[in-house]
Amino acid sequence: MEIVVCVKPVPEAESRLRANGAGTAFDPEGVKFVLAGYDESAVEQALLLKQAAPGSRVHAVALGPPGRTDEVLRASIALGCDSATAVTADVPAFHDPVATARELAEAVRGLGKVDLVLFGKHAGDDEEGLVGSAAAEALGLPFVGFVVDLRHDAGRLRFRRSVERGEETWEAPLPLAVGLQQAWNDPRTATLPAILRSRKAPIARRASGPPDAAAGSSVAERFALPPPRQGAKMIEFKSPQEAAEKLVRLLREEAKVFP
Amino acid sequence: MSDTILVVGEPDGPALAEATVEAVGVARQLAGPAGTVVGFVAGSGAAARAAGFAAVGVGRVLVADDPRFDQAPPAALARPAAATAEQAGASVVVLGGTTFGRDLVGSLAVAFRAAAANGVTELERSGDAVRVRRPVFSGRATEERRLTGPRAVVSVRPHTFPPANGPAVPLAVEAAPSCDLPAALLGPTRTAVAAAAQGGGPSLADAAIVVSGGRGVGAPEKFAIIDALAASLGAAVGASRAVTDAGWRPASFQVGQTGRTVSPQLYVAVGISGAIQHVIGMVSSRVIVAINNDATAPIFRVADYGIAGDLFEIVPALTAEVRRVRGK
Repeated sequence: MEIVVCVKPVPEAESRLRANGAGTAFDPEGVKFVLAGYDESAVEQALLLKQAAPGSRVHAVALGPPGRTDEVLRASIALGCDSATAVTADVPAFHDPVATARELAEAVRGLGKVDLVLFGKHAGDDEEGLVGSAAAEALGLPFVGFVVDLRHDAGRLRFRRSVERGEETWEAPLPLAVGLQQAWNDPRTATLPAILRSRKAPIARRASGPPDAAAGSSVAERFALPPPRQGAKMIEFKSPQEAAEKLVRLLREEAKVFP
Repeated sequence: MSDTILVVGEPDGPALAEATVEAVGVARQLAGPAGTVVGFVAGSGAAARAAGFAAVGVGRVLVADDPRFDQAPPAALARPAAATAEQAGASVVVLGGTTFGRDLVGSLAVAFRAAAANGVTELERSGDAVRVRRPVFSGRATEERRLTGPRAVVSVRPHTFPPANGPAVPLAVEAAPSCDLPAALLGPTRTAVAAAAQGGGPSLADAAIVVSGGRGVGAPEKFAIIDALAASLGAAVGASRAVTDAGWRPASFQVGQTGRTVSPQLYVAVGISGAIQHVIGMVSSRVIVAINNDATAPIFRVADYGIAGDLFEIVPALTAEVRRVRGK
Protein backbone atom coordinates (compact mmCIF):
# COMPACT_ATOMS: atom_id res chain seq x y z
CA MET A 1 0.00 0.00 0.00
CA GLU A 2 1.07 3.57 -0.69
CA ILE A 3 0.03 5.48 2.43
CA VAL A 4 0.15 9.26 2.88
CA VAL A 5 -0.08 10.96 6.26
CA CYS A 6 -0.78 14.69 6.26
CA VAL A 7 0.76 16.22 9.36
CA LYS A 8 0.50 19.73 10.76
CA PRO A 9 2.97 21.70 12.83
CA VAL A 10 1.13 23.08 15.88
CA PRO A 11 2.33 25.03 18.92
CA GLU A 12 3.51 22.84 21.79
CA ALA A 13 0.68 22.15 24.25
CA GLU A 14 2.30 24.22 26.99
CA SER A 15 2.80 27.25 24.73
CA ARG A 16 1.81 30.61 26.08
CA LEU A 17 -1.16 31.90 24.08
CA ARG A 18 -0.90 35.47 22.96
CA ALA A 19 -2.40 37.51 20.14
CA ASN A 20 -0.10 39.06 17.54
CA GLY A 21 0.45 42.81 17.39
CA ALA A 22 -2.59 43.38 15.19
CA GLY A 23 -4.73 41.19 17.45
CA THR A 24 -5.87 39.15 14.45
CA ALA A 25 -4.26 35.78 15.13
CA PHE A 26 -2.14 33.69 17.45
CA ASP A 27 1.38 35.07 17.86
CA PRO A 28 3.87 32.36 16.82
CA GLU A 29 6.89 34.39 17.97
CA GLY A 30 9.19 32.25 20.12
CA VAL A 31 6.79 29.28 20.01
CA LYS A 32 8.04 25.74 19.33
CA PHE A 33 6.00 23.89 16.71
CA VAL A 34 5.54 20.13 17.03
CA LEU A 35 3.57 17.30 15.43
CA ALA A 36 -0.15 17.71 16.29
CA GLY A 37 -1.40 15.08 18.77
CA TYR A 38 -4.00 13.52 16.46
CA ASP A 39 -1.44 13.52 13.64
CA GLU A 40 0.91 11.51 15.85
CA SER A 41 -1.88 8.92 16.12
CA ALA A 42 -2.27 9.07 12.33
CA VAL A 43 1.45 8.40 11.82
CA GLU A 44 1.26 5.49 14.26
CA GLN A 45 -1.74 4.09 12.39
CA ALA A 46 0.11 4.37 9.08
CA LEU A 47 3.14 2.56 10.50
CA LEU A 48 0.95 -0.23 11.94
CA LEU A 49 -0.65 -0.71 8.51
CA LYS A 50 2.78 -0.78 6.91
CA GLN A 51 3.98 -3.45 9.33
CA ALA A 52 0.92 -5.56 8.52
CA ALA A 53 1.37 -5.19 4.75
CA PRO A 54 5.07 -5.59 3.92
CA GLY A 55 6.21 -3.58 0.94
CA SER A 56 3.99 -0.66 1.91
CA ARG A 57 5.42 2.84 2.07
CA VAL A 58 4.42 5.77 4.24
CA HIS A 59 4.80 9.33 2.93
CA ALA A 60 4.49 12.34 5.24
CA VAL A 61 3.23 15.65 3.84
CA ALA A 62 3.12 18.98 5.70
CA LEU A 63 2.29 22.58 4.78
CA GLY A 64 3.70 25.76 6.25
CA PRO A 65 6.87 27.82 6.55
CA PRO A 66 9.96 25.59 6.01
CA GLY A 67 11.18 25.79 9.61
CA ARG A 68 7.93 24.37 10.96
CA THR A 69 7.25 21.78 8.27
CA ASP A 70 10.77 20.37 8.47
CA GLU A 71 10.46 19.91 12.22
CA VAL A 72 7.33 17.74 11.97
CA LEU A 73 8.45 15.94 8.80
CA ARG A 74 11.75 14.94 10.42
CA ALA A 75 9.81 13.82 13.50
CA SER A 76 7.63 11.68 11.19
CA ILE A 77 10.68 10.18 9.48
CA ALA A 78 12.27 9.44 12.86
CA LEU A 79 9.11 7.51 13.76
CA GLY A 80 9.39 5.42 10.59
CA CYS A 81 7.89 7.29 7.62
CA ASP A 82 9.72 6.59 4.35
CA SER A 83 9.57 9.97 2.65
CA ALA A 84 8.62 13.57 3.34
CA THR A 85 7.17 16.40 1.25
CA ALA A 86 6.97 20.00 2.43
CA VAL A 87 4.53 22.38 0.80
CA THR A 88 6.18 25.69 1.39
CA ALA A 89 3.69 28.38 2.19
CA ASP A 90 4.42 31.51 4.10
CA VAL A 91 1.15 31.11 5.91
CA PRO A 92 -0.22 33.29 8.65
CA ALA A 93 -0.56 31.59 12.02
CA PHE A 94 -4.12 30.62 11.21
CA HIS A 95 -4.36 29.80 7.54
CA ASP A 96 -7.52 29.21 5.54
CA PRO A 97 -8.25 25.48 6.03
CA VAL A 98 -9.94 24.96 2.66
CA ALA A 99 -6.99 26.54 0.83
CA THR A 100 -4.65 24.35 2.90
CA ALA A 101 -6.63 21.30 1.85
CA ARG A 102 -6.40 22.20 -1.85
CA GLU A 103 -2.64 22.60 -1.56
CA LEU A 104 -2.20 19.33 0.34
CA ALA A 105 -4.35 17.58 -2.28
CA GLU A 106 -2.04 18.85 -5.04
CA ALA A 107 0.99 17.56 -3.12
CA VAL A 108 -0.64 14.14 -2.63
CA ARG A 109 -1.51 13.99 -6.33
CA GLY A 110 2.15 14.69 -7.06
CA LEU A 111 3.15 11.50 -5.23
CA GLY A 112 1.55 9.31 -7.90
CA LYS A 113 -0.59 6.28 -7.04
CA VAL A 114 -1.88 6.54 -3.49
CA ASP A 115 -4.09 3.97 -1.69
CA LEU A 116 -4.76 5.64 1.61
CA VAL A 117 -4.52 9.24 2.87
CA LEU A 118 -4.60 9.72 6.64
CA PHE A 119 -5.34 12.88 8.63
CA GLY A 120 -5.57 13.56 12.34
CA LYS A 121 -9.13 14.37 13.44
CA HIS A 122 -8.16 17.98 13.95
CA ALA A 123 -5.12 19.97 15.03
CA GLY A 124 -4.91 21.16 18.62
CA ASP A 125 -4.61 24.82 17.62
CA ASP A 126 -7.40 25.92 15.29
CA GLU A 127 -9.46 22.74 15.73
CA GLU A 128 -11.21 23.18 12.39
CA GLY A 129 -11.05 19.50 11.51
CA LEU A 130 -12.12 20.13 7.94
CA VAL A 131 -8.85 19.81 6.02
CA GLY A 132 -9.19 16.01 5.70
CA SER A 133 -12.62 15.94 4.11
CA ALA A 134 -11.84 18.99 1.95
CA ALA A 135 -8.60 17.45 0.64
CA ALA A 136 -10.42 14.18 -0.04
CA GLU A 137 -13.04 15.95 -2.15
CA ALA A 138 -10.31 17.83 -4.01
CA LEU A 139 -8.65 14.45 -4.72
CA GLY A 140 -11.95 12.79 -5.66
CA LEU A 141 -11.53 10.29 -2.81
CA PRO A 142 -14.21 9.11 -0.38
CA PHE A 143 -13.67 10.35 3.19
CA VAL A 144 -14.59 8.99 6.61
CA GLY A 145 -13.69 10.88 9.80
CA PHE A 146 -13.63 10.09 13.55
CA VAL A 147 -12.09 6.72 12.69
CA VAL A 148 -10.44 4.36 15.17
CA ASP A 149 -8.61 1.08 14.71
CA LEU A 150 -8.01 0.85 10.97
CA ARG A 151 -7.13 -2.60 9.60
CA HIS A 152 -6.24 -3.76 6.11
CA ASP A 153 -7.80 -7.01 5.07
CA ALA A 154 -7.51 -8.45 1.55
CA GLY A 155 -7.66 -5.17 -0.34
CA ARG A 156 -10.30 -3.64 1.89
CA LEU A 157 -10.10 -1.54 5.03
CA ARG A 158 -12.11 -2.31 8.14
CA PHE A 159 -12.45 0.23 10.89
CA ARG A 160 -14.68 1.70 13.54
CA ARG A 161 -16.03 5.25 13.72
CA SER A 162 -16.64 6.90 17.06
CA VAL A 163 -19.84 8.99 17.00
CA GLU A 164 -22.08 10.75 19.56
CA ARG A 165 -24.27 7.79 20.35
CA GLY A 166 -21.86 4.93 20.04
CA GLU A 167 -19.54 3.26 17.65
CA GLU A 168 -20.05 2.28 14.04
CA THR A 169 -18.33 -0.49 12.11
CA TRP A 170 -17.25 0.28 8.56
CA GLU A 171 -15.56 -1.28 5.61
CA ALA A 172 -14.23 0.39 2.50
CA PRO A 173 -12.36 -0.41 -0.70
CA LEU A 174 -9.17 1.48 -1.54
CA PRO A 175 -8.37 4.23 -2.31
CA LEU A 176 -9.72 6.14 0.65
CA ALA A 177 -9.06 9.16 2.87
CA VAL A 178 -9.59 8.92 6.61
CA GLY A 179 -9.61 11.28 9.61
CA LEU A 180 -8.39 9.57 12.78
CA GLN A 181 -9.43 9.96 16.40
CA GLN A 182 -6.63 10.03 18.91
CA ALA A 183 -5.87 7.99 21.98
CA TRP A 184 -6.94 4.61 20.67
CA ASN A 185 -3.40 3.76 19.79
CA ASP A 186 -0.35 4.49 21.90
CA PRO A 187 2.04 6.28 19.54
CA ARG A 188 5.62 4.96 19.55
CA THR A 189 8.51 7.24 20.40
CA ALA A 190 11.46 7.65 18.08
CA THR A 191 14.82 6.15 19.03
CA LEU A 192 17.83 8.41 19.32
CA PRO A 193 19.63 6.91 16.28
CA ALA A 194 16.45 7.37 14.22
CA ILE A 195 16.18 10.99 15.33
CA LEU A 196 19.81 11.60 14.35
CA ARG A 197 19.31 9.91 10.95
CA SER A 198 16.15 11.95 10.33
CA ARG A 199 18.20 15.16 10.60
CA LYS A 200 19.89 14.24 7.33
CA ALA A 201 16.85 12.79 5.53
CA PRO A 202 15.87 14.47 2.25
CA ILE A 203 12.68 16.53 2.17
CA ALA A 204 10.99 17.10 -1.18
CA ARG A 205 9.70 20.64 -1.59
CA ARG A 206 6.79 22.12 -3.47
CA ALA A 207 5.64 25.70 -3.65
CA SER A 208 1.99 26.32 -2.88
CA GLY A 209 -0.14 27.25 -5.86
CA PRO A 210 -2.31 30.32 -6.44
CA PRO A 211 -5.53 30.46 -4.41
CA ASP A 212 -8.91 29.69 -6.00
CA ALA A 213 -10.02 33.30 -6.33
CA ALA A 214 -13.63 32.40 -7.08
CA ALA A 215 -14.03 30.32 -3.95
CA GLY A 216 -13.87 32.93 -1.21
CA SER A 217 -11.64 32.51 1.77
CA SER A 218 -11.50 32.37 5.52
CA VAL A 219 -9.60 35.31 6.98
CA ALA A 220 -8.50 35.50 10.62
CA GLU A 221 -9.68 38.82 12.05
CA ARG A 222 -9.36 38.58 15.80
CA PHE A 223 -7.71 36.31 18.36
CA ALA A 224 -8.81 36.73 21.94
CA LEU A 225 -8.10 35.12 25.27
CA PRO A 226 -11.01 34.83 27.67
CA PRO A 227 -10.81 37.07 30.72
CA PRO A 228 -9.15 35.09 33.52
CA ARG A 229 -11.71 33.15 35.51
CA GLN A 230 -12.57 34.82 38.79
CA GLY A 231 -12.27 31.57 40.70
CA ALA A 232 -15.23 29.67 42.07
CA LYS A 233 -17.93 31.21 44.18
CA MET A 234 -17.44 29.01 47.27
CA ILE A 235 -20.61 27.81 48.93
CA GLU A 236 -20.73 28.17 52.73
CA PHE A 237 -22.64 25.45 54.52
CA LYS A 238 -23.27 23.81 57.88
CA SER A 239 -24.61 20.54 56.52
CA PRO A 240 -24.31 18.63 53.24
CA GLN A 241 -28.04 19.23 52.70
CA GLU A 242 -27.54 22.98 52.97
CA ALA A 243 -24.65 22.84 50.48
CA ALA A 244 -26.79 20.86 48.05
CA GLU A 245 -29.78 23.21 48.37
CA LYS A 246 -27.66 26.32 47.88
CA LEU A 247 -25.89 24.87 44.85
CA VAL A 248 -29.09 23.76 43.15
CA ARG A 249 -30.65 27.17 43.78
CA LEU A 250 -27.63 28.94 42.24
CA LEU A 251 -27.63 26.64 39.23
CA ARG A 252 -31.33 27.27 38.65
CA GLU A 253 -31.64 30.96 39.44
CA GLU A 254 -28.23 32.48 38.77
CA ALA A 255 -26.52 30.22 36.22
CA LYS A 256 -29.86 29.11 34.74
CA VAL A 257 -28.51 25.76 33.60
CA PHE A 258 -30.77 23.46 35.50
CA PRO A 259 -33.23 21.89 35.35
CA MET B 1 -30.41 41.80 0.37
CA SER B 2 -32.53 38.71 0.55
CA ASP B 3 -30.59 35.62 1.41
CA THR B 4 -31.29 31.97 0.88
CA ILE B 5 -29.71 29.65 3.45
CA LEU B 6 -29.59 25.88 3.01
CA VAL B 7 -29.63 23.58 6.04
CA VAL B 8 -28.36 20.02 5.52
CA GLY B 9 -30.45 17.63 7.62
CA GLU B 10 -28.75 14.96 9.72
CA PRO B 11 -30.74 11.76 10.14
CA ASP B 12 -31.47 10.52 13.66
CA GLY B 13 -33.35 7.30 13.02
CA PRO B 14 -36.49 8.31 11.13
CA ALA B 15 -36.32 11.91 12.40
CA LEU B 16 -34.05 14.94 12.11
CA ALA B 17 -31.21 15.27 14.61
CA GLU B 18 -31.53 17.94 17.31
CA ALA B 19 -28.35 19.56 15.96
CA THR B 20 -30.16 20.15 12.64
CA VAL B 21 -33.03 21.87 14.45
CA GLU B 22 -30.47 24.15 16.10
CA ALA B 23 -28.93 24.79 12.67
CA VAL B 24 -32.37 25.83 11.36
CA GLY B 25 -32.60 28.39 14.16
CA VAL B 26 -29.18 29.78 13.20
CA ALA B 27 -30.07 29.80 9.50
CA ARG B 28 -33.27 31.74 10.14
CA GLN B 29 -31.36 34.32 12.16
CA LEU B 30 -28.81 34.64 9.37
CA ALA B 31 -31.46 34.86 6.62
CA GLY B 32 -33.27 37.67 8.41
CA PRO B 33 -36.95 38.50 7.88
CA ALA B 34 -36.61 38.87 4.10
CA GLY B 35 -34.55 35.71 3.61
CA THR B 36 -35.48 32.11 3.06
CA VAL B 37 -34.35 28.88 4.70
CA VAL B 38 -34.40 25.72 2.61
CA GLY B 39 -33.82 22.15 3.84
CA PHE B 40 -31.99 19.21 2.29
CA VAL B 41 -32.19 15.56 3.32
CA ALA B 42 -30.83 12.40 1.76
CA GLY B 43 -31.38 8.68 2.11
CA SER B 44 -34.40 6.42 2.03
CA GLY B 45 -37.27 7.65 4.18
CA ALA B 46 -36.07 11.17 3.61
CA ALA B 47 -39.68 12.35 3.30
CA ALA B 48 -40.32 11.68 7.00
CA ARG B 49 -37.26 13.72 7.88
CA ALA B 50 -38.45 16.48 5.56
CA ALA B 51 -41.53 16.68 7.79
CA GLY B 52 -39.15 17.47 10.66
CA PHE B 53 -38.09 20.59 8.77
CA ALA B 54 -41.69 21.69 8.16
CA ALA B 55 -42.47 21.20 11.87
CA VAL B 56 -39.96 23.94 12.72
CA GLY B 57 -40.96 26.30 9.93
CA VAL B 58 -38.96 25.20 6.88
CA GLY B 59 -41.48 24.25 4.22
CA ARG B 60 -39.30 23.90 1.13
CA VAL B 61 -37.20 20.76 1.40
CA LEU B 62 -35.15 19.19 -1.37
CA VAL B 63 -34.88 15.46 -1.01
CA ALA B 64 -32.40 12.95 -2.40
CA ASP B 65 -34.53 9.89 -1.69
CA ASP B 66 -31.81 7.42 -2.51
CA PRO B 67 -30.94 4.35 -0.42
CA ARG B 68 -27.29 4.57 -1.51
CA PHE B 69 -26.85 7.29 1.12
CA ASP B 70 -28.20 5.22 4.02
CA GLN B 71 -24.91 3.57 4.97
CA ALA B 72 -22.59 5.99 3.19
CA PRO B 73 -20.20 8.40 4.91
CA PRO B 74 -21.48 11.95 5.58
CA ALA B 75 -18.87 13.36 3.18
CA ALA B 76 -20.61 11.50 0.33
CA LEU B 77 -23.41 14.07 0.60
CA ALA B 78 -21.07 16.88 -0.46
CA ARG B 79 -21.88 16.86 -4.17
CA PRO B 80 -25.66 16.40 -3.89
CA ALA B 81 -25.79 19.07 -1.16
CA ALA B 82 -23.69 21.44 -3.28
CA ALA B 83 -25.91 20.87 -6.33
CA THR B 84 -28.95 21.51 -4.12
CA ALA B 85 -27.48 24.72 -2.73
CA GLU B 86 -26.75 25.79 -6.30
CA GLN B 87 -30.30 25.08 -7.46
CA ALA B 88 -31.85 26.80 -4.44
CA GLY B 89 -29.65 29.84 -5.02
CA ALA B 90 -28.23 29.53 -1.50
CA SER B 91 -25.28 31.67 -0.42
CA VAL B 92 -24.68 29.92 2.90
CA VAL B 93 -25.04 26.30 3.99
CA VAL B 94 -25.47 25.61 7.73
CA LEU B 95 -25.06 22.24 9.44
CA GLY B 96 -25.09 20.99 13.02
CA GLY B 97 -21.49 20.57 14.21
CA THR B 98 -21.82 16.90 15.14
CA THR B 99 -19.58 14.14 13.78
CA PHE B 100 -21.95 14.11 10.78
CA GLY B 101 -21.67 17.84 10.12
CA ARG B 102 -17.97 18.07 10.84
CA ASP B 103 -17.20 15.25 8.40
CA LEU B 104 -19.22 16.97 5.68
CA VAL B 105 -18.19 20.64 5.99
CA GLY B 106 -14.80 20.33 4.28
CA SER B 107 -15.91 18.25 1.32
CA LEU B 108 -19.02 20.40 0.87
CA ALA B 109 -16.88 23.57 0.92
CA VAL B 110 -14.75 22.22 -1.94
CA ALA B 111 -17.76 20.96 -3.93
CA PHE B 112 -19.61 24.27 -3.43
CA ARG B 113 -16.44 26.38 -3.86
CA ALA B 114 -17.08 28.10 -0.57
CA ALA B 115 -15.13 29.30 2.44
CA ALA B 116 -15.84 27.22 5.53
CA ALA B 117 -15.67 27.04 9.32
CA ASN B 118 -16.41 24.21 11.74
CA GLY B 119 -17.93 24.37 15.20
CA VAL B 120 -18.79 28.05 15.36
CA THR B 121 -20.41 29.54 18.47
CA GLU B 122 -21.45 32.91 17.01
CA LEU B 123 -22.08 34.12 13.49
CA GLU B 124 -23.49 37.11 11.72
CA ARG B 125 -23.86 38.59 8.25
CA SER B 126 -21.38 41.28 7.37
CA GLY B 127 -22.24 42.51 3.90
CA ASP B 128 -21.39 39.74 1.49
CA ALA B 129 -19.35 37.88 4.10
CA VAL B 130 -20.21 35.80 7.15
CA ARG B 131 -18.34 36.58 10.34
CA VAL B 132 -17.90 33.68 12.72
CA ARG B 133 -16.48 33.21 16.16
CA ARG B 134 -15.19 29.85 17.36
CA PRO B 135 -13.24 28.44 20.28
CA VAL B 136 -9.65 27.39 19.52
CA PHE B 137 -6.83 25.82 21.55
CA SER B 138 -9.29 23.57 23.44
CA GLY B 139 -11.37 26.56 24.48
CA ARG B 140 -8.39 28.47 25.87
CA ALA B 141 -8.88 31.20 23.24
CA THR B 142 -11.40 32.30 20.64
CA GLU B 143 -10.91 33.44 17.09
CA GLU B 144 -13.05 35.48 14.78
CA ARG B 145 -12.88 34.87 11.07
CA ARG B 146 -14.46 36.45 8.06
CA LEU B 147 -15.67 34.01 5.44
CA THR B 148 -15.50 36.17 2.36
CA GLY B 149 -18.33 35.89 -0.10
CA PRO B 150 -20.10 34.92 -2.05
CA ARG B 151 -20.43 31.47 -0.48
CA ALA B 152 -19.89 29.95 2.94
CA VAL B 153 -20.37 26.58 4.64
CA VAL B 154 -20.58 26.59 8.43
CA SER B 155 -21.20 23.99 11.11
CA VAL B 156 -22.52 25.26 14.43
CA ARG B 157 -21.42 23.86 17.76
CA PRO B 158 -24.13 21.63 19.30
CA HIS B 159 -25.95 22.85 22.46
CA THR B 160 -24.90 26.42 21.77
CA PHE B 161 -27.81 27.85 19.82
CA PRO B 162 -31.49 27.47 20.76
CA PRO B 163 -33.37 25.02 18.54
CA ALA B 164 -35.81 26.49 16.01
CA ASN B 165 -39.34 26.21 17.33
CA GLY B 166 -41.64 26.77 14.42
CA PRO B 167 -44.30 27.78 13.69
CA ALA B 168 -45.00 24.68 11.61
CA VAL B 169 -45.63 25.27 7.93
CA PRO B 170 -46.97 23.08 5.11
CA LEU B 171 -44.34 20.81 3.61
CA ALA B 172 -43.37 21.20 -0.04
CA VAL B 173 -40.99 18.41 -1.01
CA GLU B 174 -38.96 18.64 -4.22
CA ALA B 175 -36.51 16.18 -5.67
CA ALA B 176 -32.94 17.34 -5.20
CA PRO B 177 -31.11 17.93 -8.48
CA SER B 178 -29.09 15.04 -9.82
CA CYS B 179 -25.33 15.39 -9.78
CA ASP B 180 -22.24 13.57 -10.90
CA LEU B 181 -21.52 11.17 -8.03
CA PRO B 182 -18.86 8.58 -8.86
CA ALA B 183 -19.49 5.19 -7.26
CA ALA B 184 -16.10 5.36 -5.54
CA LEU B 185 -17.33 8.17 -3.26
CA LEU B 186 -20.01 5.78 -2.00
CA GLY B 187 -17.48 2.97 -1.47
CA PRO B 188 -17.15 3.13 2.33
CA THR B 189 -20.10 1.33 3.93
CA ARG B 190 -21.37 1.32 7.50
CA THR B 191 -22.00 -2.31 8.40
CA ALA B 192 -23.07 -2.04 12.08
CA VAL B 193 -23.81 0.44 14.87
CA ALA B 194 -23.26 -0.28 18.56
CA ALA B 195 -24.57 1.97 21.35
CA ALA B 196 -21.89 3.60 23.49
CA ALA B 197 -20.67 1.75 26.58
CA GLN B 198 -21.73 4.60 28.87
CA GLY B 199 -24.50 2.94 30.84
CA GLY B 200 -27.98 4.19 30.05
CA GLY B 201 -27.28 7.94 29.97
CA PRO B 202 -26.39 10.24 27.12
CA SER B 203 -22.92 9.96 25.57
CA LEU B 204 -20.09 12.18 26.75
CA ALA B 205 -19.68 13.81 23.37
CA ASP B 206 -23.14 15.35 23.12
CA ALA B 207 -24.44 15.48 26.69
CA ALA B 208 -25.76 18.84 27.96
CA ILE B 209 -24.59 17.93 31.47
CA VAL B 210 -21.48 15.91 32.43
CA VAL B 211 -20.59 14.61 35.90
CA SER B 212 -16.97 13.47 36.21
CA GLY B 213 -15.23 11.65 39.04
CA GLY B 214 -11.54 11.75 39.86
CA ARG B 215 -8.99 10.17 42.14
CA GLY B 216 -10.80 11.59 45.18
CA VAL B 217 -13.62 9.09 44.66
CA GLY B 218 -11.13 6.60 46.12
CA ALA B 219 -12.15 3.23 44.70
CA PRO B 220 -13.97 1.79 41.68
CA GLU B 221 -16.98 0.57 43.68
CA LYS B 222 -17.45 4.04 45.17
CA PHE B 223 -17.97 5.44 41.66
CA ALA B 224 -21.62 4.48 42.08
CA ILE B 225 -22.28 7.84 43.77
CA ILE B 226 -21.06 9.59 40.61
CA ASP B 227 -23.36 7.40 38.51
CA ALA B 228 -26.28 8.21 40.81
CA LEU B 229 -25.72 11.98 40.62
CA ALA B 230 -25.40 11.76 36.83
CA ALA B 231 -28.61 9.72 36.60
CA SER B 232 -30.51 12.30 38.67
CA LEU B 233 -29.33 15.07 36.31
CA GLY B 234 -29.76 13.09 33.08
CA ALA B 235 -26.02 13.60 32.64
CA ALA B 236 -23.21 11.64 31.01
CA VAL B 237 -20.49 10.22 33.25
CA GLY B 238 -16.87 11.22 32.72
CA ALA B 239 -13.64 10.58 34.55
CA SER B 240 -10.20 12.04 35.03
CA ARG B 241 -7.13 10.32 33.68
CA ALA B 242 -6.24 9.03 37.18
CA VAL B 243 -9.48 7.03 37.13
CA THR B 244 -9.11 5.58 33.65
CA ASP B 245 -5.39 4.85 34.13
CA ALA B 246 -6.27 2.95 37.33
CA GLY B 247 -8.82 0.95 35.33
CA TRP B 248 -11.82 2.04 37.43
CA ARG B 249 -13.52 3.09 34.20
CA PRO B 250 -12.68 2.39 30.52
CA ALA B 251 -10.57 4.90 28.58
CA SER B 252 -13.67 6.06 26.68
CA PHE B 253 -14.78 7.90 29.86
CA GLN B 254 -11.68 10.06 30.01
CA VAL B 255 -12.10 13.83 29.77
CA GLY B 256 -8.88 15.74 29.13
CA GLN B 257 -6.04 16.41 26.78
CA THR B 258 -5.52 12.73 25.98
CA GLY B 259 -9.23 11.88 26.17
CA ARG B 260 -12.32 13.73 25.06
CA THR B 261 -12.89 17.45 25.03
CA VAL B 262 -16.39 18.27 26.23
CA SER B 263 -18.26 21.56 26.43
CA PRO B 264 -21.60 20.89 28.08
CA GLN B 265 -23.88 23.49 29.60
CA LEU B 266 -22.96 22.17 33.06
CA TYR B 267 -19.84 20.26 34.10
CA VAL B 268 -19.62 18.84 37.63
CA ALA B 269 -16.10 17.80 38.71
CA VAL B 270 -16.11 15.55 41.76
CA GLY B 271 -12.89 14.64 43.56
CA ILE B 272 -10.83 16.06 40.68
CA SER B 273 -7.84 18.20 41.61
CA GLY B 274 -7.75 20.14 38.33
CA ALA B 275 -4.51 19.19 36.62
CA ILE B 276 -4.04 21.10 33.33
CA GLN B 277 -4.35 17.75 31.51
CA HIS B 278 -7.97 17.51 32.69
CA VAL B 279 -8.81 21.22 32.54
CA ILE B 280 -7.97 21.40 28.82
CA GLY B 281 -10.77 18.89 28.19
CA MET B 282 -13.54 20.73 30.05
CA VAL B 283 -12.68 24.40 30.47
CA SER B 284 -15.00 25.51 27.67
CA SER B 285 -18.04 24.14 29.53
CA ARG B 286 -20.56 26.92 30.16
CA VAL B 287 -20.88 26.43 33.93
CA ILE B 288 -18.43 24.42 36.03
CA VAL B 289 -19.07 23.08 39.52
CA ALA B 290 -16.26 21.59 41.63
CA ILE B 291 -16.67 19.42 44.70
CA ASN B 292 -13.40 18.60 46.47
CA ASN B 293 -12.31 18.24 50.08
CA ASP B 294 -9.18 20.31 49.44
CA ALA B 295 -10.19 23.98 49.35
CA THR B 296 -6.86 24.87 47.70
CA ALA B 297 -7.29 22.43 44.77
CA PRO B 298 -6.63 24.17 41.40
CA ILE B 299 -10.02 23.00 40.07
CA PHE B 300 -11.62 25.81 42.14
CA ARG B 301 -9.75 28.36 40.02
CA VAL B 302 -11.55 27.29 36.83
CA ALA B 303 -14.90 26.47 38.46
CA ASP B 304 -17.84 28.87 38.74
CA TYR B 305 -19.21 27.29 41.92
CA GLY B 306 -17.26 25.36 44.51
CA ILE B 307 -18.06 23.19 47.47
CA ALA B 308 -15.07 22.36 49.67
CA GLY B 309 -16.25 19.32 51.59
CA ASP B 310 -16.42 15.56 51.88
CA LEU B 311 -17.68 14.33 48.52
CA PHE B 312 -19.15 11.22 50.14
CA GLU B 313 -21.50 13.48 52.09
CA ILE B 314 -22.04 16.23 49.53
CA VAL B 315 -22.70 14.12 46.43
CA PRO B 316 -25.51 11.96 47.90
CA ALA B 317 -27.11 15.11 49.38
CA LEU B 318 -26.89 16.78 45.97
CA THR B 319 -28.40 13.74 44.25
CA ALA B 320 -31.30 13.80 46.71
CA GLU B 321 -31.82 17.55 46.23
CA VAL B 322 -31.80 17.23 42.43
CA ARG B 323 -34.32 14.40 42.62
CA ARG B 324 -36.50 16.46 44.99
CA VAL B 325 -36.44 19.51 42.70
CA ARG B 326 -36.98 17.50 39.54
CA GLY B 327 -39.77 15.52 41.17
CA LYS B 328 -41.89 18.65 41.45
